[in-house]
Amino acid sequence: MSFLFKNIEIIDKNSTFHQKKVHLYIDNQHKISGIYDVNENPIFLEDIIIKDFAGSCASVGWVDMYAQLGEPGFEYKETLETGAKSALKGGFTSICVMPNTNPIIQTKNQIQFIKNFTYQNPHIDLLPIASVTIDNLGKDLTEMIDLHYAGAVAFSDGDKTIENSDMIRKILLYLQKFDGLLMQKSEDVYLAKFGQMNEGETSTFLGLKGIPNLAEEIIIQRDLKILAYTKGKIHFHLISTAESVDLIREAKKQGLNVSCSMAAHQIAFTEEDLNDFDTYLKVNPPFRTKNDQLALIKGLLDDTIDVLVSAHTPQDSESKLLEFDMADFGAIGLETAFAVSNTFSTLSLEHLIDKMTTIPRKLLQLSSEKIEMGEKANLTFFNPNEKWVVKKENIVSKSNNSPFLNQELKGKVIGIYKNGWIE
Amino acid sequence: MKHLLGIKNISKQEIIQILDTAKNFKEVLQRPIKKVPSLREVTIANVFFENSTRTRLSFELAEKRLSADVINFSSSSSSVKKGETLLDTVQNILAMKVDMIVMRHASVGAPHFLAKHINANIINAGDGTHEHPTQALLDCFSIQEKLGEIEGKKVAIIGDILHSRVALSDIFALQKLGAEVMICGPITLLPRYASALGVKIETDVMKALAWCDVANVLRIQLERQQIKYFPSLREYNLYFGIDKKMLDSLNKEIILMHPGPINRGVELSSDAADSHHSIILDQVENGVAVRMAILYLLAQSKNE
Repeated sequence: MSFLFKNIEIIDKNSTFHQKKVHLYIDNQHKISGIYDVNENPIFLEDIIIKDFAGSCASVGWVDMYAQLGEPGFEYKETLETGAKSALKGGFTSICVMPNTNPIIQTKNQIQFIKNFTYQNPHIDLLPIASVTIDNLGKDLTEMIDLHYAGAVAFSDGDKTIENSDMIRKILLYLQKFDGLLMQKSEDVYLAKFGQMNEGETSTFLGLKGIPNLAEEIIIQRDLKILAYTKGKIHFHLISTAESVDLIREAKKQGLNVSCSMAAHQIAFTEEDLNDFDTYLKVNPPFRTKNDQLALIKGLLDDTIDVLVSAHTPQDSESKLLEFDMADFGAIGLETAFAVSNTFSTLSLEHLIDKMTTIPRKLLQLSSEKIEMGEKANLTFFNPNEKWVVKKENIVSKSNNSPFLNQELKGKVIGIYKNGWIE
Repeated sequence: MKHLLGIKNISKQEIIQILDTAKNFKEVLQRPIKKVPSLREVTIANVFFENSTRTRLSFELAEKRLSADVINFSSSSSSVKKGETLLDTVQNILAMKVDMIVMRHASVGAPHFLAKHINANIINAGDGTHEHPTQALLDCFSIQEKLGEIEGKKVAIIGDILHSRVALSDIFALQKLGAEVMICGPITLLPRYASALGVKIETDVMKALAWCDVANVLRIQLERQQIKYFPSLREYNLYFGIDKKMLDSLNKEIILMHPGPINRGVELSSDAADSHHSIILDQVENGVAVRMAILYLLAQSKNE
């Protein structure tokens, strides 16, 4: 079946149709075979589904660089299937799947397990991130070259920080053989031990053990130092402090090959929101201060922070309906990442979309895609101005631990096209 | 007031109301018959997820003196994931028609969490390193009793501030009543953002004693420190402990308080703890009256 999407504004810096309103024709081979001026009225003889999306936009399909999907091992929180549904609902046609499962994703077979899902569900690319140390323990290296050829798009211990500096040195050197990417979570385990939230004024009033900014910054500083020594490249995911932004900005200036991401929810909350002990706001890294938040937004604007990610971390209600210090960290984010970024950041739409398409594709060395005649359609359709309220009953993730429940957000995904139309 | 979860979120007026009510109950406790029928229809569960002797006894006595029906539940094991949760436990107790819950729990915010999910009145008898509101109220009562008023008085809280729920509740209560508060201890045991609390910060015990009208000395709780914050109890005693000689060397009278139980020879020497400066046993006595006042006022709120 072919499709005609009418009155769509193209948001794609790499396209000659960028910021133009067009009718988009996708043929039954999933190729973009017609891009028409809105005044034209093309006639098709075949069976065609026509959708008029006046007021809405289309961009290349979005990429998320950080999602936890729970399968295998934590199927009660999320499965590949529910995670994929959640991603598609949020407009993502490619998502990086972190290896913190049980067992850990660290062998060819396990990479294949993730990739098989995409063979059977061609609307989404699940991009496996392979563990870089065996069992995420930070002690022994996984077979990175083999995993790379098996399809791992990057390497990471996911939500675990690699503590040992010598391991970082070895990994950064070893990955250079195939220009591989290390994704590091930055949190010094000793400085952050037993921490429940940001160390700051709020934690002092609540008597909760804090996670100091220092815990994040010390790892970033150390790893940048190692990177300067080894060369290669590193990506810090989920950065959260003002000084982390400064450190990375400075390193980029010096020409180091470093990139980073932040969780979209960081621009919506600060530590003060935790006064009510809401476990749905217990995330890691924790919500910091207003000052950190402003620095993060500045980092997004000047591209020190390359990408915004969902930081999708599903938790079943038994892991959240608990005393604050017993509850697990994490929030789901795939279904709200775009709307949250669009609502709370000061990024232009074009810039935001760039951070969800072109930039992550480049960092992950995925094929570049654009909206042009003859290209295969990999598209996300969205209305940046439509307001909607996050409702528990509408969440398709298996977990509902969203910090945005019952909040109004601006920017709604209409659907995606990738080997077919999904809305 | 439906619950007493902490001092932070109650008003000065509410504190004064509790202290005034406690005064009446203290008077009751001096009578030959110490029992009043005020809570005859009320059933109270003391739910203690952390070891406690004195606080639990004090509550139980307060409840009994008010003629309430009392049940006790103690469990040192905190809720386990995928096991019986805190909410399960408390809902089971409430299913037996209990009106009020007095809870001590090792987790910060546990009573606040409960308050969102259950209907009964909740009194926080200590939640982790957060608050211990009844202790703060009895501390205020005792200071007021001894010094006449709290407004303008200088109170130094000395010891492990970082892990102390008493410190935090005391700070909130004393400040609301117009006292000046200083915290003092080894710097590793003071919160990094303590200045946000609006307190003076001191690391020299002698200077703290010279400054204050009231020294509230906290128990050094090695068991609540999951990481080492200072080298040894010996060194703590040498440089942060208080003895009678130090108190006598001051050119003024100060009063000495301690929430108990004392580690004699660590934070306080015996001669200091047993000296005329000390009002430690008055605190214990007043604890019952203050808790009676709180129970009484919360039960009243139900009838409103």
